[in-house]
Amino acid sequence: MRTDLAELWRFRGLLWQLVRRDLKVRYKNSRLGFLWSIAPPLMQVAVITFAFTRATDFARIPNYSAYVLVAMIPWTYFSTAILDSSQSILMMMGVIRKVYLPREVIPLSAAISNFIHFLMSWGVFFLYWYGFRRAPILSTTIWFPYLILCQFMLVTGISLFVSALNVFYEDVKYMISIGMNLLLFVLPIMYLVETVAYKSSIGKGKLSHQPWAIELYMLNPLTALINGFRKSLLEAVPPSSIAGGEYLPLDVPSLIITGFIAFGVLLGGYAYFNARKWQFVERP
Amino acid sequence: MSARARAPQGAPVADSIATPAIEVVDLHKTFQLQHRHAGTLKRAMLNVFRRPPREFKEVLHGIDLRIEHGESVALVGRNGSGKSTLLSLVARVYRPTSGAIRIDPNRGKIAPLLELGAGFHPDLTGEENLELYGAILGMTPRELQSKFDSIVSFAFDSPDLADKIDTPLRNYSDGMKMRLGFSIAVHLDPDILLVDEVLAVGDEAFQQKCYRKIEEFQQAGKTIVFVSHDMHVVRRVATRVVWLHSGRIRMDGPVEQVVEAYIDAADSPGFESPMANS
Repeated sequence: MRTDLAELWRFRGLLWQLVRRDLKVRYKNSRLGFLWSIAPPLMQVAVITFAFTRATDFARIPNYSAYVLVAMIPWTYFSTAILDSSQSILMMMGVIRKVYLPREVIPLSAAISNFIHFLMSWGVFFLYWYGFRRAPILSTTIWFPYLILCQFMLVTGISLFVSALNVFYEDVKYMISIGMNLLLFVLPIMYLVETVAYKSSIGKGKLSHQPWAIELYMLNPLTALINGFRKSLLEAVPPSSIAGGEYLPLDVPSLIITGFIAFGVLLGGYAYFNARKWQFVERP
Repeated sequence: MSARARAPQGAPVADSIATPAIEVVDLHKTFQLQHRHAGTLKRAMLNVFRRPPREFKEVLHGIDLRIEHGESVALVGRNGSGKSTLLSLVARVYRPTSGAIRIDPNRGKIAPLLELGAGFHPDLTGEENLELYGAILGMTPRELQSKFDSIVSFAFDSPDLADKIDTPLRNYSDGMKMRLGFSIAVHLDPDILLVDEVLAVGDEAFQQKCYRKIEEFQQAGKTIVFVSHDMHVVRRVATRVVWLHSGRIRMDGPVEQVVEAYIDAADSPGFESPMANS
């Protein structure tokens, strides 16, 4: 792995060029340009807010749309980066059949260019939230850079893994797009983690009588990250809006575990990629 | 006493003369074949406990080749004889199944012209593509900047063509794209140029320019390895010809000798069944 990393460092200029190409090409022939990466999550948030606050009386959280948006930004990064990188090697097959380059620059450029969009989306959110809405900056915001780093490791690891896997099994891209549709509902995007924890039928204000279920739910690193982003940026919501239970504070041990998991995913994804990368061009 | 034995106390110059540009030792390459279409996960799951039938085909059966600095070597042979595979192995697109390829570590900068403009993107401008393709071939941004004008003026000799450099590549003709690709590759300033059938591109005038560039290369003592089916090109450029047949070297020597033997063999009736030999 050390020689692979040294080779990657030697080709960092190429990686940067590929990232620039991804950023330039994506919205090259569109009028709205970068707006297309912030508009879809905003529209989704608007529709979800409408559905949950107007069409049902499910969500009684003040500023509900902000809670959805803070979850939607990491979700959009996760899903688009992984979808993009799953296709990336096959799209560059013509090049790697003819020219030597470290194969990892290809999925990495897809993951990094989406990461840049992710950062820009946060920039837009901060402008709105702190500039326009004058929301208070919480002390838990110091965790924000750590969360960004964890998510970058997680997404990059999965990107490396799926990009290599998709070369050999093209079913992977279909499985990913189905998986992403389902994950949108499984993850705490439209609802809060507390809603899952205090299932109102079991007893108002008490943790679910199956604590392992919530532990298991929080073990998903993306769940922990989305929950972490909310807790680090947004204020507590009143118990009445979450089935009468207490709003849980930022869970530091859970975030530390998530950091280890994300780092493990990155290492594992890169190891798998390295084991497979010389077989790409010889795919039977 | 041989030159090699004296080397330790001799100047490093003596050593670098002894080091070949490319040394290929007992090189074997095997590809896996699959007769059905691309694998699906379903099939893989059904076959978890059953090893799927695999077929391997060895396309190079032990190649030994030593190419000195300054040589221009043409690889000739029938389709499927392994020429392009050998060239791709030297370019590090494939990994050898066994054996080794050693490139001179001090003078071993390779420019692979296996396909011109691999990686060009139609929505980017000529200039942006130039940056990208240069990076793919291993140019640093600073290097590219210093050579930029020279690359553009080599590719497009008239000023109104050069003006197109900031328009998207989809507005370019195929010939123009080839010219741009060739121009970037030769400006890499490589020690070793690997070429697969794209020695000269474009119209007659540009082809002459390509040949002049290649002659400059040869005069500068650079190494060229190229695959060609055009014996006029082989006679014009090569200083040595290697004839590959069914994954083995059949003949290796001076240009005229090997080309004549190759043409004679191509004319003879028994030549049309390469599979029988493998």
